[in-house]
Amino acid sequence: MTWVPERLVWRVLPAAPAAVLLAVWAIYWWIERPPPSTIPSIAAVVWIYGEQLLNGLLVADIAASLARLLGGAALGIVTGIAAGFVAGLHRPTAEFFNPLVTFFNAISGIVWLPLVIGWLGVGTALATFLIWNTVFFIVFQNTVLGVQLVPEVLELSVRTLGASRWETLKSVTLPGALPYILTGIRSGLGFGWRALIAAELVGANTGLGHMIFSGAEYHRADIIVAGCLAIGVIALAMDRWLLVPVERRTVRRWGLVTEARGN
Amino acid sequence: MASDKISVSGFRHFFPTEDGPVQATGTIDLAIREGEFVTLVGPSGCGKTTLLKAIAGFIAPSEGTILCDGKPVKGPGRERGVVFQELAILPWRTVRRNIAHGLEIAGASKAVRESTVARLVDLMGLAGFEDRYPHELSGGMRQRVAVARTWAADPEIILMDEPFAAVDAMTRLTLQEELGRLCATTGKTVFFITHSVDEAVFLADRVLVMTKRPGTIKAVLEVPRHGSGGRDWDSFTADPEMRNISEQVMHLVHAERGAR
Repeated sequence: MTWVPERLVWRVLPAAPAAVLLAVWAIYWWIERPPPSTIPSIAAVVWIYGEQLLNGLLVADIAASLARLLGGAALGIVTGIAAGFVAGLHRPTAEFFNPLVTFFNAISGIVWLPLVIGWLGVGTALATFLIWNTVFFIVFQNTVLGVQLVPEVLELSVRTLGASRWETLKSVTLPGALPYILTGIRSGLGFGWRALIAAELVGANTGLGHMIFSGAEYHRADIIVAGCLAIGVIALAMDRWLLVPVERRTVRRWGLVTEARGN
Repeated sequence: MASDKISVSGFRHFFPTEDGPVQATGTIDLAIREGEFVTLVGPSGCGKTTLLKAIAGFIAPSEGTILCDGKPVKGPGRERGVVFQELAILPWRTVRRNIAHGLEIAGASKAVRESTVARLVDLMGLAGFEDRYPHELSGGMRQRVAVARTWAADPEIILMDEPFAAVDAMTRLTLQEELGRLCATTGKTVFFITHSVDEAVFLADRVLVMTKRPGTIKAVLEVPRHGSGGRDWDSFTADPEMRNISEQVMHLVHAERGAR
C-alpha cells in the first residue's frame, strides 16, 4: 500500500466539501427536477458561463466589479490604516473621535445606499463610496488595536539606537501592527464584496451584482447562481493568492502569528 | 567632577497613582566615571529600574538632575544604549539586521555595517545565526543579539536592566564572561542593574547597594581588577578577595530584607 504524503492530502482536502456540495446539487437536481427558475442544473450554469464568456459579458462584469472593489477597498485600507495610526498613537485623539466612530460604524456600508444613490447616482462612485465606508471601519479598528498592542519596549529600544519618531513608526509600529492590519484587510475585503454587490444590485449597469439583478428580473436562476459562484471563487482566489502569501512572508515568517496548533 | 560620564544629583522620583503620588526612590546621588563598569544591586521594588529609566531618558525625574557628559538628559539618545530584561529586539528583523539597526539609522555604509556585524557576531558567539529571526533563537541567543545590537550602535554609555535574568543559569555564566570581555575590549561606560550579588561583583569596578523602597544608595564597594580583560568565573570563585567582597555585599543586601 502506498501512502500519499500527509501534506499533499491536506492541500487537496479543502476541496472536498465543495465537491460534496456539487454532488448533492447534481443528485438533487437529477431526482427532483425542480423548475429552472428556482434551482438551475449544473449544466445550465456551465452553459451560462460559456455563453457569457463568448459574448464577453462575463469578463466585462468581472472587470467592472473588481475595479470597483479594488478601488473602494484600496481607499478604505489606506484611509483606515492612516486614521488607525493617528488614533492608535494618540489616546486623546482616539477618545475624541470614539463617539463618532461608534455612531458611523453602526450605520456603515449598505445602510447608506438609499440616501447616497440620490447623491451619487448609479455607477462606480456609489459602489466606491459604499465599499470605502465598509472597509474603512474594519481596517481602522484593527489598526488602532494593532498599534496599541505593539510592546512599548520595542519602541524605546529603537529610540535608544538613535531612531527618530518617523524611523520608529516605520521600523517598529508598522510591522508590529501588521498582524492586526492584515486581519482587518482580510475581513474588510469580505464585507467589501457584500457592499459591492448590494451597490451593483440596484445602482449599476455592469458588474456581477448587476448580472445577478438582471437574472432575477427574468427569473433566471442559472444566471443568479453563476454570478454568485463567480463572486465566491474570485474572493477565494484573492485570499489564497494575494493575502495568504503576504501573511506567510511577513507575520508568519516573523513568528508573530504561530501556525495553528497540532497538524 | 569633570570626568564624570554620568552624574545624578538629588534624584527623587514619585509615581502618580489614584491615591496620590507613591515614592519610588529616596534621594540618590551618583557619579559614574568614563570607562567604569558600575553595578547596582537592591531588593525588587527598590527603584533601581526607575533610576535606570531616568538615566536612559524614558522618564523625567520628579526631583534632581541627571547629567550625561555635563549636559542634562532630555529623552532617549543614541549616546546611551539600553539592554532590556525582556525581549526587545525586533521580531521582524533577522539577527544581522537587528544588530545593524543602529548603524542603519546613523546612515553608515554597507561595508561598515557588514564588518561591524561580523565582528560582533563573532564576539557574541552568534556565527551561523545571522539570517535567523528572533523567534527561531533560544532566550540566551536573543539576549546576545540584544547586547550585540547595543554595542554595534557604539554608544558611549550602556545601561543594562537585568539583561540576563530571563536566561538559564548555565547560559548566564557564559554571557557574563562574554560581557566582561566585550567591555574590557571596548572600554564602554556601563551601568548595570541586577538582583544577583555574584553577578554584580563579578562584572563590576564598583558595586552600589540600594536600600528597599524608597531606595537610596546605602553602600559603595570597589572591586579591584587584576590585569586587563574580563574576569572568568573559575578564577573569580577561587579568589578570596572577591569572595570577601561578595560576602560583604550579600550582608548588605540581606539586611534589606525583613520589614516589608
